[in-house]
Amino acid sequence: MHLEDYNPLDNTMYQIMDKSGEIVKSEDMPSFTDEELLYLYKTMLYVRIIDERALSYQRQGRMLTYAPNTGQEAAQIGSAYAMEKGDFLVPAFRELGAWLVRGVPLKNIYLYWYGNEWGSHMPRDVNVLPVSVPIGSQFQHAVGIGMANNIKGENNVAVSYVGDGGTSHGDFHEGLNFASVFKAPVVFIIQNNQYAISVPRKNQTASETLAQKAIAYGMPGILVDGNDIFAMYAATKEAIKRARNGEGPTLIEAYTYRFGPHTTSDDPTKYREDEEVESWRDKDPVVRFKNFLLNKGLINEEWEENIKKELDTKVVATFEDIEKNSVYEVDDIFKYHYATMPPHLEEQLNEYKVFLQGGKNHVK
Amino acid sequence: MKYEYRFPDIGEGIHEGTIIKWLVDIGDNVNEGDSIAEVETDKVTTEIPTPKSGKVLELMADAGDVINVGEVFITIDTSGEADETEAQVDENEEIVEEETAGVVGEVIVSSEEIPPSTEGIVSTKKAVNKKKILATPVARALAKDLGVDINEVIGTGPGGRVMKEDIRNFKDSLSEIEEPKSKVDEVSSDFVKLEEEVSKGESITRVPLTRIRKTIAEKMTQSRFTIPHTTAMDEIDVSKLDDFRKKYKSILKEEDVNLTYLPFIIKAAITALKILPEFNASLDEENNELILKHFYHIGIATDTERGLMVPVIRNVDRKSIVELAKAIVDLGTRAKENKIDLSELKGSTFSITNYGSIGGYYGIPIINYPESAILGLGRVVKKPIVRDDEIVIAKILPVSLSYDHRIIDGASGARFLNILRELLTDPELLLLKS
Amino acid sequence: MSNKLNLIQAVTQALDNELELDKSVVVYGEDVGVEGGVFRATVGLREKYGETRVFDSPLAESAIVGSAVGMAINGLKPVVELQFMGFSYPAFNQIISHVARMRNRSRGRFSLPMVIRAPYGGGIRALEHHSESTEAMYAHIPGLKVVIPSTPYDAKGLLTAAIRDPDPVLFLEPKRIYRAFKQDVPIEDYELPIGKAKLVQEGEDVTIVTWGAMVRDVQKAVEIVSEKDVHPEVLDLRTISPMDRDAIVDSVKKTGRIIVVHEAPKSFGVGAEIVALVNEKAFLYLEAPPTRVTGFDTIFPLARGEHHYIPTPERIASSILDVVKF
Repeated sequence: MHLEDYNPLDNTMYQIMDKSGEIVKSEDMPSFTDEELLYLYKTMLYVRIIDERALSYQRQGRMLTYAPNTGQEAAQIGSAYAMEKGDFLVPAFRELGAWLVRGVPLKNIYLYWYGNEWGSHMPRDVNVLPVSVPIGSQFQHAVGIGMANNIKGENNVAVSYVGDGGTSHGDFHEGLNFASVFKAPVVFIIQNNQYAISVPRKNQTASETLAQKAIAYGMPGILVDGNDIFAMYAATKEAIKRARNGEGPTLIEAYTYRFGPHTTSDDPTKYREDEEVESWRDKDPVVRFKNFLLNKGLINEEWEENIKKELDTKVVATFEDIEKNSVYEVDDIFKYHYATMPPHLEEQLNEYKVFLQGGKNHVK
Repeated sequence: MKYEYRFPDIGEGIHEGTIIKWLVDIGDNVNEGDSIAEVETDKVTTEIPTPKSGKVLELMADAGDVINVGEVFITIDTSGEADETEAQVDENEEIVEEETAGVVGEVIVSSEEIPPSTEGIVSTKKAVNKKKILATPVARALAKDLGVDINEVIGTGPGGRVMKEDIRNFKDSLSEIEEPKSKVDEVSSDFVKLEEEVSKGESITRVPLTRIRKTIAEKMTQSRFTIPHTTAMDEIDVSKLDDFRKKYKSILKEEDVNLTYLPFIIKAAITALKILPEFNASLDEENNELILKHFYHIGIATDTERGLMVPVIRNVDRKSIVELAKAIVDLGTRAKENKIDLSELKGSTFSITNYGSIGGYYGIPIINYPESAILGLGRVVKKPIVRDDEIVIAKILPVSLSYDHRIIDGASGARFLNILRELLTDPELLLLKS
Repeated sequence: MSNKLNLIQAVTQALDNELELDKSVVVYGEDVGVEGGVFRATVGLREKYGETRVFDSPLAESAIVGSAVGMAINGLKPVVELQFMGFSYPAFNQIISHVARMRNRSRGRFSLPMVIRAPYGGGIRALEHHSESTEAMYAHIPGLKVVIPSTPYDAKGLLTAAIRDPDPVLFLEPKRIYRAFKQDVPIEDYELPIGKAKLVQEGEDVTIVTWGAMVRDVQKAVEIVSEKDVHPEVLDLRTISPMDRDAIVDSVKKTGRIIVVHEAPKSFGVGAEIVALVNEKAFLYLEAPPTRVTGFDTIFPLARGEHHYIPTPERIASSILDVVKF
């Protein structure tokens, strides 16, 4: 596909596989092997199971606030799968599928949501930045990564995500502007799941689409069916190619839906209708991909049951390991603010340790 | 290269000058040293030479204009010059050019130099090691208030900190009068000698002080060191009193009354106290007031097994001699038997100490603080005296009156004893005046 | 070999040396490239090192700092310029949310060897926002270092150290003294330690802690009081965070008195932190209350009122005499 062919002002949505799993744009169909297709589908199932378990643990009081990904699996997995080895993933906070594809261990992911900074300590060869809580601010990091890449003369690309809410933020705009001016090799992906907590997309901006904001910054923008894993893959792949060729950044709007709450502390029934949710169920990304695979004869129910069981066992084991064995060291609170701990931090840590061990006037 | 010639301070600290006339024009070639303008200042009118050769580019002022020192008044194109010296001066010129770019504000530009950094150079100046006193600001303030130099106080707090207690103790030690201080020194050196004796094999016994003894010690010290004592003495002829006493002694004995001299002396003393109220008073030092008491409670110093006790007979002026006699016996007995109430040992306004009953003659009694006087009585002896120009044998009672010399002068002391003598010499007069 | 440089030239030379020695150093910001910076801090660098490494950016302070974060993560050492400290505020979110936190957030997996330079402080009769002294706000952020030089020699040494530091440094340059004087500065590269104060002058009567442009004003005040036989000890803090606490405490233990002099507003400032430190560690040595001579708790006045705000040598000298006579 060619990004230049897509004018976001046309308000047309790029799609390869329709909601029932039929291929409607076969010329753009990515040439995946069967193993790859199964891998992609398994990852989608994995995302759902991880989310379900996390939600359940949260309601049992064993897990803290969690942001579920249900409904956005294709947007995340499809786009991330287009990345290559040295590329950087610069997430917001709702990119579980992308994390898994890029090699972030589930243990890291769960540790993070469990409340331990070690979750963000990625393995050496995993170029994934930590969750970025200030909305939209991560775009500038992606730009910097891309700019550095140009300066060093290397070939890597930065792929960064934001939500529809984040597109109102100044950092979003500054990031896009900077990236265009410097032709930074960045792919900006908006996961438009239609809601910023309770604020619907149409109240977030008066623009018809989010993709069209790219035009203002002199870069291509494309509106993609976010629940179509093939379209997400193809669009992202093209954008990454552009970036790697030195043609600069691209803005992709993944049009998708958040089935679950913003986080476990949110009750979406307060601000949206059941009919709306139902209408989106019709377009469920996992279901349509399942249909595609069933039609191709690559999977059956039994296979799926087994896979689900396998994945579930893995998820439960990971969480229980964290619950039982993960530690939170007091020293860690102090050790990582500077390369070398300065004297005043050492002093504060030691004072605190004395208190913990029963200091002079210790009151328990 | 454009050279900007700034109007120099041509001497004597001028600030400005007026251009009388220009001696060159734009485009003229000038050589270093050529006069370019005639300028008038407060001090002189003079020609200004150019320090550079070149072509005159701009004249920044007109004839008749005032120019300030430091202001550019002519620019010269010096690029024709093959100037070695100029390369060195380059730096300075660069400063002039590189002023702040079109940005707000004025940054001061100066070629003032500051001395090179002394980074890493260890100071050879030895730190004057002043001994540092550790103390809280409150303690320091206390020292200031008390007029104590905190640097002289030894601290007993944590880490050698000078505590408020240390400062107060230091102050107290300063204000102790010399005598006791040297006494302390003597005593402590005595103790040292004592220890030496003991270590050589001499034996001692350590007797812990009883509470009564401690109290007596405290009270005696307080009295002696607060009140400036003086003592007036006299010998009183009580021969007539003795006859009087003996006359009624046996009668009263049947009523179980032991009539001694003491009740008569007490009565005489009361009369004297009424006439000289300062002997029945207390000095309120704080308010600088003398408290005169209009009631008469007499303390009778009594020797007991446990030590000196002073039971008090209250409202002595309202008691008869017989009643006094009874009271004396009663209190004395009960004091000796330790059956006396604490309230009966308090409240005296004047005291009498009768060391004569044990055989003493002379005495310098210590006032029962906070009273103002005490009467000491020696034993009655037969002595030859001169009466009507003849030597006769009389019964003589020696008395010693110690009193507070702050409030009682010697004359009053003498007067008191005069009254006492008058009354005790003539018992009928005593009864009349009681 | 040394050359006589003023503070801004020392900054340029430090950047020049580091761009030469370390290919991962890049310098950018608004007007930094072609123009050479509005204060001429980067003059000549673009010509020498090319516009790949020394370049102009769009007018977006948040993105300037945010992109530096990304660059540092991807192996470069960005030295960005914010044109005035007063314009650092749009970037404050990036600074406090990411620059200071990336190492701790990732338990050391990602760290940021970057420098943010900004002219700071008042005294140049400029518009609003061009006279800011909000170093206290930045010093309050854990994970960030804040450095303020007072002389050309120190500026070059400290900036070099900042660029080589594996942690992010906010390097504030007191613009009032950018060109006010020159000093011998070695042409070769050298470092001065971040986190160490400098003893400017030894004395026994009172400790004066200060930094930046105020150091000179303090020195003038010291001259004034020395005529009355009062001899203060002057400490140039040089690094606000992490502060050289030992140097301050040792000095106060010696003199028993302390005055902090800073331009910034009085309350909730760096002076307050130093007074707290002295109370905690040298309470028993104090012979007078710790004192601050500072700007007022007001906005920095415009040019016509500026001279009231920054503590003058006379104001400082009066305070010294008050404290010494307590």
